[in-house]
Amino acid sequence: MSTTPPIAIVEESIPNERQRRRGERTTRIRGNRPGFVVYAVLAVVFISAAFPLWWSFVIGSGDASSLRERPWWPGGNFLANALAVVSNPAVNFWAALWNSIYSSFLIAASVVITSTLAGWAFAKLRFLGGPALLAFVVATMAVPQQLGVVPLYILFSDLGWTGSIGAIIMPALTSAFGVFWMTQYLRQAVPNELIEAARVDGATMIRTFWTVGVPAARPAAAMLFLFIFVGAWNNFFWPFIVLDRQNPTLPVALSLLQSNYFVDYSIVLAGVVLATVPLLLLFIFAGRQLVSGIMAGAVKG
Amino acid sequence: MRTSRRTIAATIAGAATLALVVTGCSAGGGDTSDEPVTLTLATFNDFGYTDELLAEFTAETGITVIHNKAATSNDARANYFQKLGNSGLADVEAVEIDWFTEAMQYSDLLAPVADDLKGRWLDWKEAAATDAAGNLIAYGTDIGPQGICYRSDLFAAAGLPTDRADVAKLFDGDWDNFFTIGAQYTATTGKPFIDSANSVLQGIVNQYELAYEDTDGSIIATTNPDIEAAYKAVVEKAIPISAYSGQWSEDWFASMASGEFAAMLCPGWMLGVISGNAPDVTGWDIADAFPGGGGNWGGSYLTVPANGAHVKEAAELAAWLTSPETQLKAFTNAGTFPSQVDALASDELAGATNEYFNNAPTGTILTDRANAITVATFKGPKYFQFHDALQNAVTRVFDGLEDEQTSWNNWVTEVSAF
Amino acid sequence: MSTATAKSPKQVRVVSFSHRMSRWDLKLSPYLYISPFFLMFLVVGLFPIIFTAVISFQDWDLVRGSGKFVGFDQYIWILQQPHFWTALRNTFSIFLLSTIPQLLLAIFIAAMLDRNIRAKTFWRMGVLLPFVVAPVAVGLIFNVVFADNFGLVNGFLTDIGLPAIQWHKEPFWSHVAIATMVNYRWTGYNTLILLASMQAVNREYYEAATVDGAGRFRQFLYITLPSLRPTLIFVVITSTIGGLQIFDEPRVFDQFGRGGAGQQWLTITLYLYDIGWGQWNFGRAAAMAWILFVIILLIGLLNLLITRTLVRDEGTRVVKLSRRERKELAR
Repeated sequence: MSTTPPIAIVEESIPNERQRRRGERTTRIRGNRPGFVVYAVLAVVFISAAFPLWWSFVIGSGDASSLRERPWWPGGNFLANALAVVSNPAVNFWAALWNSIYSSFLIAASVVITSTLAGWAFAKLRFLGGPALLAFVVATMAVPQQLGVVPLYILFSDLGWTGSIGAIIMPALTSAFGVFWMTQYLRQAVPNELIEAARVDGATMIRTFWTVGVPAARPAAAMLFLFIFVGAWNNFFWPFIVLDRQNPTLPVALSLLQSNYFVDYSIVLAGVVLATVPLLLLFIFAGRQLVSGIMAGAVKG
Repeated sequence: MRTSRRTIAATIAGAATLALVVTGCSAGGGDTSDEPVTLTLATFNDFGYTDELLAEFTAETGITVIHNKAATSNDARANYFQKLGNSGLADVEAVEIDWFTEAMQYSDLLAPVADDLKGRWLDWKEAAATDAAGNLIAYGTDIGPQGICYRSDLFAAAGLPTDRADVAKLFDGDWDNFFTIGAQYTATTGKPFIDSANSVLQGIVNQYELAYEDTDGSIIATTNPDIEAAYKAVVEKAIPISAYSGQWSEDWFASMASGEFAAMLCPGWMLGVISGNAPDVTGWDIADAFPGGGGNWGGSYLTVPANGAHVKEAAELAAWLTSPETQLKAFTNAGTFPSQVDALASDELAGATNEYFNNAPTGTILTDRANAITVATFKGPKYFQFHDALQNAVTRVFDGLEDEQTSWNNWVTEVSAF
Repeated sequence: MSTATAKSPKQVRVVSFSHRMSRWDLKLSPYLYISPFFLMFLVVGLFPIIFTAVISFQDWDLVRGSGKFVGFDQYIWILQQPHFWTALRNTFSIFLLSTIPQLLLAIFIAAMLDRNIRAKTFWRMGVLLPFVVAPVAVGLIFNVVFADNFGLVNGFLTDIGLPAIQWHKEPFWSHVAIATMVNYRWTGYNTLILLASMQAVNREYYEAATVDGAGRFRQFLYITLPSLRPTLIFVVITSTIGGLQIFDEPRVFDQFGRGGAGQQWLTITLYLYDIGWGQWNFGRAAAMAWILFVIILLIGLLNLLITRTLVRDEGTRVVKLSRRERKELAR
């Protein structure tokens, strides 16, 4: 053999399939339920993490003076405030909601797919220029992003895309962060021997990816989806520049509520709560994926 | 530069089309000539251009107007210059006076105002919007003539007069007179007299003909004795009687209701800030006086980008919005004080009162204050930067970070690098 | 699975054909997998970077879209600015105050969540809540918490007889406040990343270690951490990049968003933004972007080396446990 094998050489011995199955059972054996201290720590973390949402609801259910008076419990105006947001014709709430949902979804889906494919190649396949390309991708993350808005606007202006949702989807369809994350995760989560075994069985590369890589990547992919979706959902700077009020995303639409010398924060935060609800729904869905995915990924390999 | 940009864009267009198919979105198309014209209008904060007002324009002309609002003037500024040289600006774009001078550098990219409209606005408002070629390139909306807002209850407690006319008489004088009254108040009550030191800096600088740049474009910031005098006055006399260094912080907003200070420099648009943030406080009033004569703070223009799709109709809209009649309605809606000569002379304005401010005749008072304005400070393209840095210098002294001289020296070093 | 195993009269030829296909498959597949990413990345990722590089050598006018070549003048100008060096100091200070506690806390919470707790999904999703709440809400809350006069922290301090902290005046305290905001927003995020990797560690290793009598802490040190190595490298690198590019938190720290009157909390990206969008000098801003790029690259490499040294290689210690090592582990 004069050429380097395209698949990374197995450097470590890995328990065979039967032993791995046994590992699944032992997961539960090992996991004797932890004590009170763990729950206490987690409760503290949870309370501080949930506080802004709670606080947004408290202020959002009050009136214009709530921010100043700092109440601890909700008032009775939430529905009225929410209605003020939704029914404000200038805010264009429903159009914004739909734009946010489908643009964030497309962005997150595209990032997950492209990152998983590329991450699999970088982590588990050996090819000429691979490490260099990966290093290059990671290095591009080090270029400050604020400036990117200038050339991107020029580009989309020349293309005539300004004002369309495509202009916020296009630049976000891939993510260097996503590729790096998938690479590092798959490096760890998939034993090289497994791929070797699949190849010895005569599986094609794409089949190996499908039967070994994809299941292993599931928890990481669910998380990446969540991160990218939330990031796209809350992104303001670029959508604000490139979109206009006829066709906004939620943050752009809601920014209108702050466009006066005097800002009624009870309405603003009612809008914030409304904009967060879809994310919480996503959490419930993605959270399940994450948990079941982790178990499946770790065992089936 | 431009060629290479286009080439890259063209190369990319192919890939972009692919992605367009993939994502299933369509690019925004241009309107066809058969359809009725739809115009876009972009403003920020509150210009008083309500939907009802814009509906009147539609009823008159058949042209639909879509109103885009930015949250802040700074957002609008970023948006404006990002798009001015490309495309994507609204048909009519609002520009605030603070960054208007920057827009003046690109006056060739803006459609000039029709000659027959010249003379509609106050002289100084028009002069500031006339470029080197003599073209008027912007439609004035509002101005910010300043009076003095005061808390009559706090004035009474400190032994100062409370009646509007008496207070106006009290402040009838120069800045030193103002500082003396402030020092007395602070000595009597132990509390700050005014809200912020930098509002005083603004008040003084806005009364100079020249500030940081000369009309020929040369930089005079560090050599202009007026600026050094303004800095000195603010640091030595305004800081000791000020509650805050600058405005718009959370503490500052909260303090309007708490009675932490007794007076503020007050352009028309500030009235809404006060009444909105201290709705339960009674006792705010406004006096027809300003130290050292008249002074203008803020105000805006409308511009029509020359590369828009409907420049003619856009000019029509801008002219309509800045007509005396429309601007008076805007004043009623949002307190934006008109910059049109005819509007200033109107009975409607003269009759305007403000219930929150003890039923003060704000129309008459602000008209008087507008008439007292004799100079418009020349603001060059870098005005914003110079002034901002000088405000920082005042803040450094206010915060006790640096002494008067050190802070001044640091400002000189900083602005020399511009 | 493949056709090669099929019984056929032309077996030999099929094998060779399939073999050739297989070789092509091996050679080309990696490129096929990375191509969707790179094709799109070339358009929207690389174009801005090249553009930035080009205008950093120009005196560039945004509106006119044209510039004059000025060589390294913009770079030299930046390195001569006292503000730049102040910004560099602030950036590193905030970076250290945020990244280190944040990662330690994230590892700690992730280890808690990795235990066999009830209602896993609930706790896991809970830690990510600060990340989903709109920045405007988080900004408002911290404004209330860290306001100099009427803030919650200072109210508490004065109540118990301590002097109030001047959050917006003293550089160190402003860095502490900003680092707190950063940690608040990103700890949960890093926690989940680390948790996902912890879950992928083969549970058998723990079982073996438990059998040998190793305590929970030793298991964590000798099994969990080494297994997490690639993810730790990921977290350290991305935290370095994100931390040195810190922008949102210092920007919302006061109403002006320009780093304080005395540049107390001016960071590099904030300065970059001010030069670009405040002074409309994109040539200088682009040069600053590249200077920051080099700094991040250097610090990133340094952190990579440190992480590699501190966390020993995956597998070697755990998988090939020799008898002696097992004993060592058990002690």
